[in-house]
Amino acid sequence: MSPDKPLELRHLKKDFGTVAALQGVSFSVERGEVFGYLGPNGAGKTTTLRIVLGLVRPSGGDAFIFGKSPSVAAGRNDIGFLPGDLRLYGNMTVLAILDFFACFRRGAPPVLRDSLIDALALDRGTLRRRVKFLSHGTRQKVGLIVAMQHDPALLLLDEPSNGLDPLVQHSFREIVRGFAERGHSVLFSSHMLSEVEQICRRVAILREGKIVALETIDNLRDKVVRKLTVRFRNEVPALADVPGVSRSELQGRETVLWVRGDINALLRKLAQVDIDEIVFPEPELEDIFLSYYQNV
Amino acid sequence: MSNLIRGFFFHHRGLLIASAVLFCIFQLLTCAIISSIDIPRAFDQILLFAPPAIRTLMEQSMLGGGSAGILAFTWNHPVTHALVIAIAIALGARAVAGEIENGAIELVLAQPLSRFDYLAAHVVFAIVSMAVVAFVGLLGTVAGQNIFHLPPFGWDRLLRLLANVLLLQMSFYSLTLLFSSFGRESGRVAILSVLVAIVSLLVNVVATLWNKAAFMKPYSLHTYYEPRAILVDGNLALSSIVVLGIFIVAATAGAFARFLTRDVP
Repeated sequence: MSPDKPLELRHLKKDFGTVAALQGVSFSVERGEVFGYLGPNGAGKTTTLRIVLGLVRPSGGDAFIFGKSPSVAAGRNDIGFLPGDLRLYGNMTVLAILDFFACFRRGAPPVLRDSLIDALALDRGTLRRRVKFLSHGTRQKVGLIVAMQHDPALLLLDEPSNGLDPLVQHSFREIVRGFAERGHSVLFSSHMLSEVEQICRRVAILREGKIVALETIDNLRDKVVRKLTVRFRNEVPALADVPGVSRSELQGRETVLWVRGDINALLRKLAQVDIDEIVFPEPELEDIFLSYYQNV
Repeated sequence: MSNLIRGFFFHHRGLLIASAVLFCIFQLLTCAIISSIDIPRAFDQILLFAPPAIRTLMEQSMLGGGSAGILAFTWNHPVTHALVIAIAIALGARAVAGEIENGAIELVLAQPLSRFDYLAAHVVFAIVSMAVVAFVGLLGTVAGQNIFHLPPFGWDRLLRLLANVLLLQMSFYSLTLLFSSFGRESGRVAILSVLVAIVSLLVNVVATLWNKAAFMKPYSLHTYYEPRAILVDGNLALSSIVVLGIFIVAATAGAFARFLTRDVP
C-alpha cells in the first residue's frame, strides 16, 4: 500500500452466500487519472465501490484509500461518492441536503458548490425545493454536487450520467476533466463504453466478478472487434483480406464485417464502390467481452 | 455527530410533535375527568359488579391513593403504553433498518463518519426525544392538576416517574435497535417489537391476576414499570432500575456489535 496512491485494490473477493460477487479484483488508480470501471449490470462494480467505502466487508483481499483501510472513517475525508442508486432524505430541501453533507467535513468547506450549481445548470430556485419533489435528473445533479462540492482528491462515481440530459452530460465530463487536471483522481463506473472512452485514460472491465481487461482506452480500441454492416448498391467487393477485417459474412448485397483496430484500409476499399448504407454502431460491452474471450 | 442528530430531529419532527401533543392532551383530559367525578362512590359501584380478576387489577393499579391512584393509573393506561412504546419502537426501527430501507444510509456512511458515531447519534437522539415526549406528558399531568384543582404530586415523584418511563421506553428502543441492526425493512422490525411488547404486557397482566402465573412476572419488562408505586408511595424500586438498565445495556451492546460488522445496505 502506498499513501500516494489514491486507490489500490489487491485480490479483492466478496461472497454473498454461495454467490461469488468478486473474484480477486486488483487494480489501482493513480493521481490525476480518470479511471473507467466498466461492466454489465450485476458484474460487481457497485460491490467494489461499497468495499472501497467500507460499507461492505470483503471476503478476501485488501482495499486502500491513500494507503488507509476503508474502515477508517478519516480515510474517507478526501473522497466524494455518488451511489448508483442515489437516495436522499426526501423531506429536506436541496440546500439543506448540501449543507448536511458538507458538515461532515469541517476542514473541507464546499468550495465548488456554486460553480457546480452553475455548471450543472441547477436552477437556484430548486435549492429551496424539497428533494422528494425533484425529477430523477435533478436529483442526480444534487448527488453530483454532494459528491464534488468539497473538491475531493478521489471521486468515486457509480453510473454518474444516469438521468442527465446530453448538455449536462457534456458539462459533467468537463467538470471531471477539470478534477483530473488539478491532480485529483476519479473512478468512473459505468456499463457504457462510449461514455467511459470520452474521459478515461485507462479502463478495467469487469465481468462476473473478474477483471477481464485492464487497458488504456487506446489499447482497448485497438483490441475491440466491432461489427460493421455494409449494403452495396451493385457488386460486392472482396473484403476478407483487407487489413483489420477479422471475419466477414455475405448475405445478398449486404456484408457483415468484424473489424479490429485501424479501419482506414477498409474505408479506402469501401470508397471505391457504391454503397447504399453503412451501419457502424457503438461497440456494446458484449462485443468487448467477445473480443477478449474469442478469436473472432 | 451533532449534524446527524439535528438531521434526525428534522426527519422525525412530525412524529415527535404529534406524540408529545397527544400525550399532553391525554394527561390533561384525564385530570379533567377525574376532577368531575366522585371517585370513591364511582369505584364502589364499579367494584360491586366487577368480576374478581378485574377487581384485583383495579385495586392494585388505581385504588388506595384517591385521585393520586387514579392519576397514577393514567400512566399505566393502554393509551399511555401505546404512545410511549410506539415512539420507542418507531425510532428503533427507523434507526438502521429504516435508513437502509430508504437508502440514504449508503451516502451517509460514505462520509468521514464511523459507524459507531452514526449509531451513537441515533441512540442520543432517541434518548432526548423520548425524554422530551415523556416530560411533555408529565407537564400535561401537572397542568391538569393545577387547572382542575387536584392535589399535586411532588416534583421528586414526577422526576422518578420520568426516569421509570424513560427506562421502559429505552428497553423497547434498545430491543428494537437490536432487531433493526439485523434487518433491512423497518416494518418487519417494528412488527416484531410490537409483538414482544404485547406479550410483555400480557404476561404482566396475567401474572398479576392469576396466582398460578405469578412466576412469569419477572420476565415481563412491564413489571419494572410502576407508576402507582412512584406517584402514590414515592418509591422507585432499585430492582426496576437495575433490571431495565442491564437489559438496555445488553440489547444496545448487541445492536452495536452487529451494526459495526454487518454489510450495508
